[in-house]
Amino acid sequence: MPRSGWDPTEDSEQGTLTATASSRIKRDLMTIFTDPPPGLFVVGDELNLKIIHAIIVGVMDTPYEGGFFYFVLKCPNDYPIRPPKVKLMTTDAGNVRFNPNIYSSGKVCLSILGTWNGPAWSPAQQLSSLLLSIQSLLNEKPYFNEPGLVQEQIPGDSKRYNEFIQHETLRVSVCGMMENQCRLSIPEQLKDIMGKTFLEFYDQYVEIAKNNMHLDGTEMIDPFNKGRHLCHYKNLLLRLEKIRAKVMGKTWNFFKEPSCTNVDLKERQTNEEAKCSSTIAS
Amino acid sequence: MKVTIKNWVGVATWRWVANDDNCGICRMPFDGCCPDCKLPGDDCPLVWGQCSHCFHMHCIVKWLQSQQVNQQCPMCRQEWKFNNK
Ligand SMILES: [Zn+2]
Ligand SMILES: [Zn+2]
Ligand SMILES: [Zn+2]
Repeated sequence: MPRSGWDPTEDSEQGTLTATASSRIKRDLMTIFTDPPPGLFVVGDELNLKIIHAIIVGVMDTPYEGGFFYFVLKCPNDYPIRPPKVKLMTTDAGNVRFNPNIYSSGKVCLSILGTWNGPAWSPAQQLSSLLLSIQSLLNEKPYFNEPGLVQEQIPGDSKRYNEFIQHETLRVSVCGMMENQCRLSIPEQLKDIMGKTFLEFYDQYVEIAKNNMHLDGTEMIDPFNKGRHLCHYKNLLLRLEKIRAKVMGKTWNFFKEPSCTNVDLKERQTNEEAKCSSTIAS
Repeated sequence: MKVTIKNWVGVATWRWVANDDNCGICRMPFDGCCPDCKLPGDDCPLVWGQCSHCFHMHCIVKWLQSQQVNQQCPMCRQEWKFNNK
């Protein structure tokens, strides 16, 4: 069934959630709070029960290791009859395509979201299963996510792609996210998780930067996106050290100014629903 | 012809809400009504598919109405047929 647009921040659906939808969203969130899948963090929006904020932390032994991938989801009024809309906000303001299936616009190509071919959404799925499907896109060889690419076009493509992703993960989804370069309005609870997770992964970050220092000055090529980037591990190492000092000294905080890339909450839910979601979130 | 699979990348994870006690659509217990029924005393019958999966009638009807082409069970994706015993 054709759906108008994939972008939750551009979604124009007005009106209120059905009773089933708001009850289902709360249950879906509660499932994640009580039994959190590794590397997956969610919080309901304070003002709008339809909006979910999620961070997927890149899994160990993948080029996404330790990266913070911030997603915004918007559930339709008849959830779970239709799937939520999903957008990756961690794209260096639309400049980095982190995966063959996740565009620099933030669009996530996944059959259950109706943005790709294959098994469609089913109401038996829930927020955790959806987010786990997205997490599985961020795997150890993302090059081969591209449909039809069972073989490298040029030998070494997959390895070079991993080098590119690894660098951009450190640059954009670790340093950029911790410095909040793109001024995203990330909920406080998720920021706390980022601070803690950053310290846990810190030694790995440093190791990645040191192991790849010899690549500095060379050009990285993204086969799925135009544009060339230079490796800058030395600079990333300095940024990591500064961020660590701030997190340890508890002086780490984000810009408080309103963000331009913020979710445009086109409509607000009633106070009653807002209260429900903040109770669940706390 | 011989087919060799050179590479396989799994990019989907399924986790069903499957549960004998809860409706797989609204996730509410079967001993209560669906959330769209305001009062517990409202008539919110249960229905079974030929695949043996059970839902609140209100929930499965909303799902089937939204599916114009093929109507599948939300749990097992088999073609949905009411089991009228
Ligand atoms: Zn139900
Ligand atoms: Zn009902
Ligand atoms: Zn079934």
